[in-house]
Amino acid sequence: MTRGLWTRETVAALMLAALMPLALFWLWTSGLAGAMGLTFAIVIIGVWHLVFMLVRAQPPSLSALITALAIAMLAPEELGVFRLALGVSFGVVMGELVFGGWGRNVVNPATVALAFLGFGFPSAPWPAFDAPIAWAAIPAAVLGAALGIMPFALIVAAASVAAAALMLGLLTEPVLFAAGIGLVLLVADPVTSAATGLGRVLNGALYTLFVVFFAAGWSGAAPVQITVASALLASLAAPLLDDIAIQVWVSRRRRRHGRA
Amino acid sequence: MARRPDVWRVLTEPLIRQNPVTLQILGICSALAVTTTMATALTMAVSLTVVLTLAAGIISSIRRHIPDSIRLIVQIVIVASLVIVIDQVLQAYLAEISRALSVYVGLITTNCLVLGRTEAYARHHPPLPAMVDAFGNGLGYSLVLLIVGGLRELFGKGELFGVVVLPLADAGGWFTPLSLMLLAPSAFFILGLLVWAIRSWWPEQAEAPEHVPPGRAEAAE
Repeated sequence: MTRGLWTRETVAALMLAALMPLALFWLWTSGLAGAMGLTFAIVIIGVWHLVFMLVRAQPPSLSALITALAIAMLAPEELGVFRLALGVSFGVVMGELVFGGWGRNVVNPATVALAFLGFGFPSAPWPAFDAPIAWAAIPAAVLGAALGIMPFALIVAAASVAAAALMLGLLTEPVLFAAGIGLVLLVADPVTSAATGLGRVLNGALYTLFVVFFAAGWSGAAPVQITVASALLASLAAPLLDDIAIQVWVSRRRRRHGRA
Repeated sequence: MARRPDVWRVLTEPLIRQNPVTLQILGICSALAVTTTMATALTMAVSLTVVLTLAAGIISSIRRHIPDSIRLIVQIVIVASLVIVIDQVLQAYLAEISRALSVYVGLITTNCLVLGRTEAYARHHPPLPAMVDAFGNGLGYSLVLLIVGGLRELFGKGELFGVVVLPLADAGGWFTPLSLMLLAPSAFFILGLLVWAIRSWWPEQAEAPEHVPPGRAEAAE
């Protein structure tokens, strides 16, 4: 074990373990339809991982299962096999594999796939989540943060802003549930979320602020649609937030020590 | 005078090998904006090719009389005059398509492809090769525009040139249109995939990597 325990696959496996409460509970409530959707997404993503392994020698990753779970849970319903396959392929290839595989992607492939499906087929209805499934997101977040896989600061920041918004009556329950599941599945991702302490706080807060903003001003949007749009924008902003955090640090050093 | 450049090579080089859109990434703005249907893409492609060829010919024939310090102004005046003529012709004979193209015909004036060819080629070559080069570049631009426009119209509406190719599910067929294809981002995706495909086919077109990944620390056992 000369390279240590923490390889990319360790992170993916622990991430999967952290998401297990949510995944198993969702599978239990959604039954056969959910299991079939999940299997379908895993097969499509697996095929693409295989193609990129053969063509570009990129090792396949367990993260395919995480992406498949997020897509199967949050994708619009009644799409049919062909359109779902198109959306999943687009998200996985353009969001992750062309950049060199999991760990080098800029945005979460599941977010890209869901945004593609949402914008491409606006008439398809989005899934809705009941309270129990949303509650299952809490142990997932706690496990992820405790294992050091999900950014703790991001989750705390997102939760505090959500609590503040709830106090002010800006968040309704369905939106809160969808946003909580989206936080665990899409936003608190070790690869594409911000990587600095301050950046993570800002990233989590920004995600919830987007959710609140869309919930208030986007008429006719489904809760999951709001979540996906917020996750996409928040992950696109993550490098900027990291840069802000680094600039703050640099300028503080300069003030303290007089030079760079 | 140097050896006469091979006219056929000058004409065919910009089609794929030196394609102005996919290799030099010039003229992207209009290529993305007007490709929702084949009709607008074709009109735009023809307009640009005509303007580019004529402008190259005119500029090349007066290339020894243009003072260097004001050459951009002269070039833009010539291009803009041609664009206005084309715009008037389109408004007169193809009013509907002209409305669909809106400002983009007028923006041919500032299309970097036009200025790039006149600045880089027409200023240094006699009129005939300059016009051939401009025509070839216009064809290369047209090719990309028609590919992108064809894909977007086919998958966004199930039509080509307004003729139903894939019968829509609403009208009793089987095809459900991808409404994303009619939005601007899809043009980005298609163009990006096109560039990717071309550069995988001809790897010499790919740019040199900006960063070199650090060497992997292999275990020294």
